Amino acid sequence: MDRKLERILPLVQKPARYTGGELNSVIKNKDEVDIRFAFCFPDSYEIGMSHLGLKILYSAANGRADTWCERVFAPWDDMEEQMRKNDILLYALESGDPIKDFDIIGFTLQYELCYTNVLNMLDLAGLPVKAADRKGLSPIVMGGGPCVCNPEPVAEFFDLFSLGEGEEVNSEIMDLYKEHKKRGSTKEEFLIDAAKIPGVYVPSLYDITYNEDGTVKSKTPKNGAPETVTKRIIKDLDSVHYPDNFVVPFIDVVHDRVTHEIFRGCIRGCRFCQAGFIYRPIREKSPDVINEQCKTLCKNTGYDEISLCSLSSSDYTKIEELLEKLLDWTGSEKVNIALPSLRVDNFSDSLVKKLTGVRRSGLTFAPEAGTQRLRDVINKNVTEEELLETAGIAFKNGYCAVKLYFMLGLPTETLEDVEGIGILAKKVVDAFYMNPDKPKGKGVTVGVSASSFVPKPFTPFQWEPQSTPEELKEKQEHLKNNLPSKKINVSFHHIPTSFLEGVFARGDRKLSEVIETAWRKGCKFDGWGDKFLFDNWMESFSECGISPEFYANRRRDYSEILPWDHLDFGVSKAFLINESKKSVNAETTPHCRIKCAGCSANKLNGGKCDV
Amino acid sequence: MYDLRLFISKKGRIKFVSHLDMFRLMQRAVRRAEIPLWYTEGFNPHPYISFLLALSLGVESEGEPVDIRIVGDMTPDEVKDRLNKCMPEGLLVESAVKPFNKSAEIAFGEYDVLYSKDDINENELFEALSSGSLTCEKSGKSGGKKVIKTVNVSEHIKSFVIGEEGDDIMLKVVLPAGSTFNLNPIQLSQAVSSYLGKEVIPVRVLRTALLCSDMKKFS
Repeated sequence: MDRKLERILPLVQKPARYTGGELNSVIKNKDEVDIRFAFCFPDSYEIGMSHLGLKILYSAANGRADTWCERVFAPWDDMEEQMRKNDILLYALESGDPIKDFDIIGFTLQYELCYTNVLNMLDLAGLPVKAADRKGLSPIVMGGGPCVCNPEPVAEFFDLFSLGEGEEVNSEIMDLYKEHKKRGSTKEEFLIDAAKIPGVYVPSLYDITYNEDGTVKSKTPKNGAPETVTKRIIKDLDSVHYPDNFVVPFIDVVHDRVTHEIFRGCIRGCRFCQAGFIYRPIREKSPDVINEQCKTLCKNTGYDEISLCSLSSSDYTKIEELLEKLLDWTGSEKVNIALPSLRVDNFSDSLVKKLTGVRRSGLTFAPEAGTQRLRDVINKNVTEEELLETAGIAFKNGYCAVKLYFMLGLPTETLEDVEGIGILAKKVVDAFYMNPDKPKGKGVTVGVSASSFVPKPFTPFQWEPQSTPEELKEKQEHLKNNLPSKKINVSFHHIPTSFLEGVFARGDRKLSEVIETAWRKGCKFDGWGDKFLFDNWMESFSECGISPEFYANRRRDYSEILPWDHLDFGVSKAFLINESKKSVNAETTPHCRIKCAGCSANKLNGGKCDV
Repeated sequence: MYDLRLFISKKGRIKFVSHLDMFRLMQRAVRRAEIPLWYTEGFNPHPYISFLLALSLGVESEGEPVDIRIVGDMTPDEVKDRLNKCMPEGLLVESAVKPFNKSAEIAFGEYDVLYSKDDINENELFEALSSGSLTCEKSGKSGGKKVIKTVNVSEHIKSFVIGEEGDDIMLKVVLPAGSTFNLNPIQLSQAVSSYLGKEVIPVRVLRTALLCSDMKKFS
């Protein structure tokens, strides 16, 4: 271990974040590989190490004999201070080598408010933040993850983006890179070739012009780059690479357990939900494969908890079969099973009975809106009766705490809809007391969490204005002042954070300058309430002459060229427009198993969709 | 069913893993090694694993005692071999033995402390350690409240030897350890720092053994 590093580690909090050496971390001989890959997660170790995508792609890349993939996280501010003071460059955890000498630096962009951390990490690595200022072939800085469905605000910092699921396309990028490295190509030569790989978007190969009102006028691809870049998907989840090993962190991280993905995509079509659209089409993994992989993972990690993850676990068609297979061995092995993301409308008695064998925490449901009209607008096909019935089942089975998720600022929302949240929560409280088998001597708590709606690309609400901070404030006050029961605890999201998220979600390339300015003013870890410097952000907007409201609070016309229109995530624009029009009339669309809504995402899978 | 005492060495970067995290790490290691441990009874059963004494963050060790309880007849040697195949880098079961001493008998820790000559020279270190007036601040509890106490360090130094190792100064020192009173080389270094009026941070601290009050090795 580097002596300089060894001296500073006792001075920082949780030094085991920065040491590496965790069980199952991959060590290779650097002289025997062609590609050094730094997988960067632009947030703290605890967040990054909880992320399943990192585990999958880390393991897939290290499956290649010619590649050594290592992990890098954003150092917390105490560590950053020590690194800068002692001239320690950002290094990868496995080898301790500075990442500036790596071949590829890949960032996963999970959340808009991590953008300043990307810049900060590049800077800590000793690299220029702008792609144009990094002249050599290496390192290539690439980005992936959900935010790359509109990567335009960070386009100037990246060499390329990988759209969609990365298991296969990352490998194709590495093959091509290796070839160009051998040939001694320039970065430009490599990027022109990389743009020919399906799913690879090279932002520098597109000229964007703007109208006088600031909207996009035209996009012109250069050097043979495609007009439209289509996201990649994995066709068969049973045969695609899945890790048989997770790196087991020393310190307590957010999700510290075996996580297993049971299916990709979502049948529901809730109109506010970006994940529900950009991960289509539906592809299920078979129970036998999941079961075997869970067994192996528990054996190799020593974890005693498995979390089955997806966008809506109870929509997995073979959920009960899978649970039976798992419960067959997990009981004797003292392994717990957690099943997050259950829906209100198919939370069955037999499912809850299977789950009572495992450790129980609170239950969370997401009605999202307080009135049926508004739930119809957003296509959250859940009724009050279903919610109350489910809450009843939960209470009957001994649960005493329920958490309800709502959003404020949804399209067409009125103050009556806001009051509806309190009324609905009160009915859940009443359902507890009406239950004859309720546990004696116990009260109920109903937690209401009200976040602020942020319109996102590739949803039917991508043309909608976001509620202004003032409107959101008014709605929060209104909800707080109209709560009908003391058993209801309400909590809100921080409004300025949602506002900024709204700006970047639908932003364009003009925002790169704002992000760089804000970072130079000290903005980083913007997703962490105590680190968020809103005034510095607002100063940055005004110094760059850019109005954040233009991006967050403006209604777009269907005919406007949107900054992400040259990217294709499967769902067609015609489908989104149709859904948008239906929403205005509170007209619902049934879920995909009742009737195919014709979103066109199945074209990515040769017309196949596992509904 | 029988009790087994493991002595586990902890060297290299894993020294930055805290005492609390070590417990979780061991729990997972015994699961991977498929060692039949006795589980506590009660609402939330967990395997019985007991670290007899905390090791400060950043300190390495030649062998920390950890007690476990084995169900069935797996031999101590097999437990040791199985665990050593499953341990993270830097941790090694050096021995697995039937417990001889009680944990309350731990009285001293023996340490190798390495200082850089850039920070301190032999004479300065000798002067400080022989001064009789070293003190450091220790946080403790009094009546349930957190208080900072000033501790006379000098009277607790059982023995010390100063030597050289390469470009560094090597201090071999015996300090009190155990359930009643602890003093570690990092606190000792703080005391030396304030005595000399300059920052002296050890380059490396290694606990070589735990001793009973008769100065015999704890086993």
